[in-house]
Amino acid sequence: MTGVQGMFVTATLLGALGMWLMLPRRGFQKRRWGALLAVVSLGLFAAQVPPLGATLDRTVFDVLALVTLVSAVCTVTFRSPVYSAVWFGLTLLGTSGLFLFQGAQFLSMATITIYAGAILVTFLFVLMLSDPRGRAYYDRLSWEAMLSASAGAVMVGVLTMTLSKVFSPDAAGPPVPVKPGSAAAAASPGETPTAALPAPPSAQALEANVLSAQHVARLGGELFGRHLLAVEAAGALLFVALLGATAMMAQGKIERFQRSHHGDG
Amino acid sequence: MFDVETLMVLIPALPLVATLLTAALGKWLLKEQSHWPAVVAVGASCLLSFVLLFQVRAAVRQLDSSKSAAAASAAKPIGYEKIRTLWTWAVIHDVLPPDAGRPTDARSARDLDLGISLRTDPLTAMMLAVVTSISLLVVIYSIGYMHDDPGYWRFFTYVSLFVFSMTMLVSASNFALLYVFWEAVGLCSYLLIGFWLTRPPAAAAGMKAFLVNRIGDFGFALGLFLLWITYGTLNFHDTPAAAGILGQTLLSDPSRYVGGGVGVAIGLLLMLGACGKSAQFPLHVWLPDAMEGPTPVSALIHAATMVTAGVYMVTRCTPLFMAAPEAQQTVLTIGAITALLAGLIALTQTDLKRVLAYSTISQLGYMFIGLGVGTLPAIVAGMFHLFTHACFKALLFLGAGSVMHAMGGVVDMRRFGGLRHRLPVTHWTFLFGALALAAVAPFAGFWSKDAIVAALSARVSEAGPSSSAFYRIVFWSSLFTGGLTAYYTFRAFFLTFYGPEQIPDEAGHHAHESPRAMTRPLVILAIASLVVGWYFSRGDRFGKFLAHTPSLAYATVQATAQSAEHGGHGQVAFVSTLVALTGIGLAAYLYLGDSWEVVWLTRRLRWLYAISYGKFFLDGLYRVFLIWPLRAFAAGFYWVDRKLIDGLVDRVGRIPLAVGSTMRSLQNGLLPFYAMAMVFGLLVLLGILVR
Amino acid sequence: MDELTLLYSYQVVGAMLLGIGIVGFLARRNMIVIFLSVEMMLQGVSVSLVSWGRFNNDWGGQVLTVFVITVAACEAAIALALVLGLFRRSGVLDVLYWQSLREANQEPYIEHELPEPPPEPLKSWPHLTPAGVEPRIEEDLHRSHV
Repeated sequence: MTGVQGMFVTATLLGALGMWLMLPRRGFQKRRWGALLAVVSLGLFAAQVPPLGATLDRTVFDVLALVTLVSAVCTVTFRSPVYSAVWFGLTLLGTSGLFLFQGAQFLSMATITIYAGAILVTFLFVLMLSDPRGRAYYDRLSWEAMLSASAGAVMVGVLTMTLSKVFSPDAAGPPVPVKPGSAAAAASPGETPTAALPAPPSAQALEANVLSAQHVARLGGELFGRHLLAVEAAGALLFVALLGATAMMAQGKIERFQRSHHGDG
Repeated sequence: MFDVETLMVLIPALPLVATLLTAALGKWLLKEQSHWPAVVAVGASCLLSFVLLFQVRAAVRQLDSSKSAAAASAAKPIGYEKIRTLWTWAVIHDVLPPDAGRPTDARSARDLDLGISLRTDPLTAMMLAVVTSISLLVVIYSIGYMHDDPGYWRFFTYVSLFVFSMTMLVSASNFALLYVFWEAVGLCSYLLIGFWLTRPPAAAAGMKAFLVNRIGDFGFALGLFLLWITYGTLNFHDTPAAAGILGQTLLSDPSRYVGGGVGVAIGLLLMLGACGKSAQFPLHVWLPDAMEGPTPVSALIHAATMVTAGVYMVTRCTPLFMAAPEAQQTVLTIGAITALLAGLIALTQTDLKRVLAYSTISQLGYMFIGLGVGTLPAIVAGMFHLFTHACFKALLFLGAGSVMHAMGGVVDMRRFGGLRHRLPVTHWTFLFGALALAAVAPFAGFWSKDAIVAALSARVSEAGPSSSAFYRIVFWSSLFTGGLTAYYTFRAFFLTFYGPEQIPDEAGHHAHESPRAMTRPLVILAIASLVVGWYFSRGDRFGKFLAHTPSLAYATVQATAQSAEHGGHGQVAFVSTLVALTGIGLAAYLYLGDSWEVVWLTRRLRWLYAISYGKFFLDGLYRVFLIWPLRAFAAGFYWVDRKLIDGLVDRVGRIPLAVGSTMRSLQNGLLPFYAMAMVFGLLVLLGILVR
Repeated sequence: MDELTLLYSYQVVGAMLLGIGIVGFLARRNMIVIFLSVEMMLQGVSVSLVSWGRFNNDWGGQVLTVFVITVAACEAAIALALVLGLFRRSGVLDVLYWQSLREANQEPYIEHELPEPPPEPLKSWPHLTPAGVEPRIEEDLHRSHV
């Protein structure tokens, strides 16, 4: 296992170095070199993952993943905050595509509509109201670039190393709880929970459930059926957030309004 | 009512009651009348002690007549004693290791059994009579002397406490009880020396007395331990559990006393205790400084009673010393050295009380010479000298107190003179006391000191060729010291009462004769110092009485009694009288009239003068070799305590501060820093969970 | 096997998004960019959730992702209100400006060398043929780029 571990460690180190180079800094910003290192690191990580079966699937997935990851890196490293927001929008597009590839159609549309359409636009509004030009000093500096890059890279390294352990064909990784309704339970009933990953569900089971034709209806049924209370709570939460934001913004204005009006009489 | 057992308990008990009464009621109720409990109690004790003395004398006479009647009976008691145990103080079982070879045959399982046991025998009866009578006279004197003192009630509390402790000390019948009251009289001495406790010299003197005494007491305690281990018991008398150290069983078979190294060690340690209490060389340094206390205190404690406790103890332990001749010789040596040393120092002192203090030390040395010779006449002579010395020394101190009282507290003889007209009673009584001290016949001191010197000369003639040189040296030295005694005593007398009249300024209107409360005891003591000497040596009645004490009545000591009848007695008396008169004559020549010879002598012999005036620099030696090293030692420990231990504690206390300030640096107010901390924590957690 | 590989790939993508989000969150000083990085981390988590949902043939993954989106929206609203309030007080969007909660004995974090601002790009105007009238440029209103 040491060879694989060595690969992961190298990939982590390269990734950290690359990110560090790309982060905004006072002196030189070797974006190109950083980009190169990051790409190499990404390649090393990706090499640990076995390829998907069909060629089309593989290509689609690779493109989507690449778009997502590259735009994520760009979000984080560009100096102008507006550029970062736009790159984030692209990341959202990539993620939405990934959702669609998984068969979560509602979610992909929801991501676009709510995330990119509402949340990101709000971000841009606030940016306009504050400082959009990105010429401030704090946009050109990062805080403890080395440590941050290392933290992120180590996180990625640890997670992917764990994943490789779990998903490797021979090892018995951390126990995965067997879901009663899944194909795994049907495949291996009565097995102890310390077994390896259960067998993936069959295509028919998937068609019947998650990938069904009435996707939205079933999702809706699930939401308002089993998770009704959570949905109501989420609604309340949204309402409260709305009120809170309004109150915070209005605070100063109400006082000034009262003062000015009292001055008049 | 007046049987021996009851008297034994009453005599110490009455002063104890007086102490408690004066302490409780003195300050608020009695105030100016605080002397009444003390006077009544000590007076009653005095009376009762005389009754006891008569009863013991009657019992002794009966013993003599019965002894001559039943000479053949085997069970003759050795001496006369009566024991009474009030209660058991403490019993600790199974303390000693089992050892059958102990001389006292400690039969019942090696217990430490301490009881409050009192005894009566001729020695105790004599000591009680002396102590209580002198105490009574001093108490009456103090009524006048301490009249205006704000601590009046405190004085009488302490004096009553002292009388209680001293009477218990001489009545104790085991070593532990003796030690307790040994310490108690030391405590009273400290309290009374430092009576005027706001005066730094008085406080320092009290401390010095206590500490030097402590050294002696330490030796005494070690001696007690050794006694306990060797003999298995601490009692004087026989008990059912074990034979007493000075009891009938051991005394009838004196070979059972442990000799050799252990015996000598015991003797030396006990002598160390006696040195401390009786101010012998080298522990004599506290007595001159103790003159800071009120003069009645000096008269009572430091002349007549407390300092004689050491002599009493050594006399009581005569069997132990007889079993260890080397220890006895050490006693003799120390006594001789002390007598000579103190005499030499007293030649040049200018403080009247100091002269008397050094003469006390010197006379105590004489008593120890007597005890150290080791024959019955010598020991009896030592005790006789204790008796007569109590009378005339107390007289001299009270007279000095009278002079001080008249001179407004001035004691320096250079500042007053020619007082014989202003203080006539004091003058004549002081003369009587001085003659007694100088051992001029027929005054008391002559009889007792002469007895000691005679016993010494007898020992010289009967000792073997090797040790006779030693005894001869001691003999001539004691004669020389006698001359010195006469000289310095009359030097003080002439300086004070003769010469041009000179009153210091502090006297003011005080410069007149003392009130009757003070002069009456002086007169009584003057008569005593004239009479007691020749009265008690007629027919050796003192010696015969005292020889019935069990410690002095057993075979070994009695065997030495033959040396009493000696032809050289008259020769010795003649020589010693000659020496005394020479001393008096020299003092008269130098100090009566003008003093240019004294000045010339002082200049010619200035080195000797300096040594004598500087008290042989013993205080300085103590300071350099004892006090400075101790102070340095203590400073070292103080440094360790402050710097190391306190420093360590401080450092330990600073650790949380340090840890805290390290932790504080984590709170720098920067949001990304906190986020970083969270991420790191998460990574650590992940690492633990995954691996 | 395909499902497994699919799952594995998606997990890796999700992990990477998370990591990149962490880097951005820790390193950047602009408050807006920090919040963008937070949203990115949430995206990573959503990707992972959805793939698990499909693998286990369970709606739970997608349901939870819906809730994640909801909460992200709320959080964005409040956060942006806060950022605006802070901007109004200080005039900067710098997160390191707000340091007053530090311990009394700590030194403040002060930049000693500010980077010089990037040079203003040359105001270059499109070259029109000389036959026209130059447009009137008002310097304070004109912005060279958005």
